[in-house]
Amino acid sequence: MVATILLVEDEPVTRMSMVARLKRLGHRVLEAGNGREALEVVGRERPDLIIVDWMMPEMDGPTFCETVRRDPTMKSVYILLMTSHDQPAQIAEGLARGADDFLSKAASKQEIMARVLAGLRTGRLVRELETTGAQLESSMLLLQTKQREMEADLQSAAAFVHSLLPPPGSPAPGLSLAWEYQPALTLGGDLFGVAAIDAEHLGLYILDASGHGVAAALRSASLMTFLRVENILQLIGSYDPAKVLREVNRQFPLSAEGEYFTLWVGQIHLPTRSLSYASAGHHGILLSPAERPSRWLTRPSSPLGFDQAAVFAGDQITLQPADRLFLLSDGIYEAPSPTGEPWGRWRFQQAVEAQQHVPLAATIAHCFTEARRWQAQRDFLDDAAVVGLELSV
Amino acid sequence: MDTLEVFVLSEALDLADGDQELFLTLANLFMQESPKDVAAARAALVLQDCDGLAAAAHKLKGSVLPMCAPRLFERAQRLEMLGRQGDCAEAASVCADVERCLAEVHAALRDLIAGGFPS
Repeated sequence: MVATILLVEDEPVTRMSMVARLKRLGHRVLEAGNGREALEVVGRERPDLIIVDWMMPEMDGPTFCETVRRDPTMKSVYILLMTSHDQPAQIAEGLARGADDFLSKAASKQEIMARVLAGLRTGRLVRELETTGAQLESSMLLLQTKQREMEADLQSAAAFVHSLLPPPGSPAPGLSLAWEYQPALTLGGDLFGVAAIDAEHLGLYILDASGHGVAAALRSASLMTFLRVENILQLIGSYDPAKVLREVNRQFPLSAEGEYFTLWVGQIHLPTRSLSYASAGHHGILLSPAERPSRWLTRPSSPLGFDQAAVFAGDQITLQPADRLFLLSDGIYEAPSPTGEPWGRWRFQQAVEAQQHVPLAATIAHCFTEARRWQAQRDFLDDAAVVGLELSV
Repeated sequence: MDTLEVFVLSEALDLADGDQELFLTLANLFMQESPKDVAAARAALVLQDCDGLAAAAHKLKGSVLPMCAPRLFERAQRLEMLGRQGDCAEAASVCADVERCLAEVHAALRDLIAGGFPS
């Protein structure tokens, strides 16, 4: 490969000698009589390698090296400082001021060839590194842009899902609702709903999609849409929890990736305070009566999607005034301590019972505080949700 | 007695990569340029300009290298050193020595140019 070499030397005999020898090696050789002239040539020609004499009028070799190194576009050019000096102190000074190597004016043909080829090879490698670095930086910027776009999309999707969650307050006469929800990622996969079915009935559910991330969140949003009261009534004619689970089980089979849902569905008949419910593998429902011990409303059951013909058993209880019903995701009671021990449903139960006489929202907030204290960090590894429903006295 | 040689043709040809034509071109250029460097050294001595003396001697020393003239090279190097040390008094006699050695080298080169390279 023909390289362009700039030779900077004020003394004509040495210059002519070195030019002839470099040309004989097959290179294109440019000449300059001092450092200032050389800077002009460098700016115009961008040589692959520079051989510069140490002592010159106008601008000496080391000063020339320093000046070239300050130019960002030329800082990686390979520079051989040509000298008859061979004292270590001078060599150190030359290297410190920007030279890459030295070349004796009395060097043999073999030495010149070796040093020039080594310099050209090094310069080429440095330029390749710079190019690779620039490409990496460009790719990084592109990735960051894409990541920002994706994050914005996720925020938008999260805002949409959040808008589907029931507003805290009073979903029906004689009932109050409070909840706290902290998705592990921007978009969560554990969702819940509380909605009036008709003037006398209130429907409620909590679901958990297996897996994490956007895919799980999208599947949950899809199920959430399916569980809308109008849709369920149209499909099965009632909001009977066991029937709802059977229909969902048919409509949401195990995914190709083996992902599935757990779901608890309940229906309250408001005039009688009768709660009917059914669970498909979801164990996070706690009934906390005002004056009696709390208990979990669950029975062994399979998650959805494993058996198309599965039948889900329903249960029924009568709620009493001041009873509290908590629907919670496993992300809160499985929150691990730094040693890996889950917080556990019984600790949640204790936290709820200890807070029976404070407002519902404060009880839920207390549960989150205790879970965070247990795991010794604010953010949860899984989606954490606690929904509380309280009957008026 | 000066043990250094005036001019070593074999080494000079080596430095020209064995190219006789290139060496003759360099020799002609040397004979044309070197008197200017000695004149510059002389002028610097008159002005007691030690930096100018060192620079002129350095340039002469550089041009001597491709000629492989050890005696002249040694004198030019000494003159440069005296200039750097600011010793213009001592430098006057060394400068005269440089002129004498340069004349020897010029004579040797003229002989070579006139007589051709030994076979």
